[in-house]
Amino acid sequence: MRDTQEAVLAEMRRWGYRYVVTPTLERLDVLALGLDADVRRRLFKLMDADGSVLALVGERTVPVARLVAGSLRAAPLPMRLCYAGPVLTNDPGRFTRRREAYQVGAELVGASGPVADAEVIALAVRCLDAAGLRRYQVDVGHSEFFLGLLDGLALPADVKPGVRAALAQRDFVALEALLAATPLRSAEHELLLHFPALRGDAGILEAAGALVRNRRSERALEELARVHELLRAHGLGSSVSLDLGAIRDFDYYTGVIFEGYGPEVGRPLAQGGRYDGLLACFGRPAPATGFMIHLDLMGEVLRRSGVGRELTRLDAAVAWSSVGLSAALGLAGSLRMFGMRAVVDTEARRLAGALEWREALGAAHLLHVGGGRTVSWSPAAAPARIQRLPAEQVVARLAERGG
Amino acid sequence: MISIAIPTGTLLEGSLDLLRRAGVADLAPEEIGRKLLVERDGIRVVLVKPADVPAYVDHGSADVGIAGKDQLWESSGSHYELLDLLFGECRLIVAVPDASPLGGPGTWPPSLRVGTKYGLATEQYLGRLGQRAEIVHLHGSVELAPLVGLVDAIVDLTQTGRTLRENRLRIVDEVGCSTARLIANQASLKTRTGAVQALVTRIREALG
Repeated sequence: MRDTQEAVLAEMRRWGYRYVVTPTLERLDVLALGLDADVRRRLFKLMDADGSVLALVGERTVPVARLVAGSLRAAPLPMRLCYAGPVLTNDPGRFTRRREAYQVGAELVGASGPVADAEVIALAVRCLDAAGLRRYQVDVGHSEFFLGLLDGLALPADVKPGVRAALAQRDFVALEALLAATPLRSAEHELLLHFPALRGDAGILEAAGALVRNRRSERALEELARVHELLRAHGLGSSVSLDLGAIRDFDYYTGVIFEGYGPEVGRPLAQGGRYDGLLACFGRPAPATGFMIHLDLMGEVLRRSGVGRELTRLDAAVAWSSVGLSAALGLAGSLRMFGMRAVVDTEARRLAGALEWREALGAAHLLHVGGGRTVSWSPAAAPARIQRLPAEQVVARLAERGG
Repeated sequence: MISIAIPTGTLLEGSLDLLRRAGVADLAPEEIGRKLLVERDGIRVVLVKPADVPAYVDHGSADVGIAGKDQLWESSGSHYELLDLLFGECRLIVAVPDASPLGGPGTWPPSLRVGTKYGLATEQYLGRLGQRAEIVHLHGSVELAPLVGLVDAIVDLTQTGRTLRENRLRIVDEVGCSTARLIANQASLKTRTGAVQALVTRIREALG
């Protein structure tokens, strides 16, 4: 998991995202400014000596927003930030009782519009690549498309919250019942009833565009078309689909939203989108978009598909006997200077014992330093062919092979 | 391959009948009951306990599933609820002993003791009414609890009302109505859209 996290963070750095560290423990009243009741309820809470309630980090976008509005207040926008670490929640899920999960994410704060949206989506896709995922799919949608449909519905005001709730709960049986109770049928009705099926390539935008009759949804479709175009310019084509039926937290997201799915996993691996309202909660109004990757889920997928990274391999095991210790330490130092990974034994061993020790360590080469001027070298390719060479020559030969 | 989780118990026969009518899978109850997992014609059918259907679907071990709405009330999963399958109808009701002075909401004491297997649905129902209550979580023979004075009322599922009558209980309010539902995993809906939607369409057509 650590390797996956490092690979993802390295990709984020290549895109100019700065790593930030956010607090693990934070006053609840501060976090509450940016979190809805449901998320707040799930936070682990404890009490400070002066009686104020503290919460453990339960998600990392709000702490980043707080950082941007707080200690980074003087820094110019837009700002590109990334983070990684555990999040702790008292998950009330009936089937998943995992309290600690690992997330790595990036936020682009202070930039609005399709160019910023496309950058973050393209970055998310490249991060999935960097993690080693071979097959995945990213669905891009827009929260305003649904809200426009809701506006466009000829519904009594008291029914609309019900429609919204039914959709948020992905309950299409209830949605159909609510819509059936209204006499007026519109294109918006039909679109809502087929919500889960509204996905595909750019064609879906035209199909939906022909049906909607409200400005809000039309604008969402225009933005999506532009983002889709930009994603192609980013070199992403086949892995990105458009999903007008994306259902997310419609109170939080204010624009383009997206999710990444891997093979044989029932939940999204990556989630993100535009949240232009959050920064204002902390006193520095700014548009923002970002995403995070669920590292635990990613690890499961990678393990299952056999991509799981091997344990970091050692290049050299340096053994020594009698008076060879100083020379062994010097030899390991030279190898490390050439970027190789070398371990020096903690006790003296004869060559035969050292060969076994190398096996146990899983190191490619064994170098045994005895009392003489030469080093016994058992190379990776032919462990039985032991050569005796001066130390400098061994270092040179290993460096040449690239470890 | 699309996999479908179907429930043991009262919904099994209706589920198999629907899958047969929709031309999805033709399975005899004995066959699936013996094997628990049958793969045929690109469809995998797994037989699980009614309360476990949401778990199989939420985790993606099954792409879709057939579950009673009563089970969905009790799960807070991330599945999509796509179709009302119109069978397995029953009601979640509030009942009190015949001899009890209590009637519907409004006649209840300031704090009501309620016994149920449906904790979440009961909590939401009482919350809507603004009724303070102590919920006693039971696992079976819920009808017994008010007769021995454990609780004032029960919230339980009933189809015909016969068990309630036999235990000298009367219905004072209805919490909700349950039928079998078709649910789908969120990722399956996104990554295998074509296959899942085709299945949904066939089942919708079979419903008439």
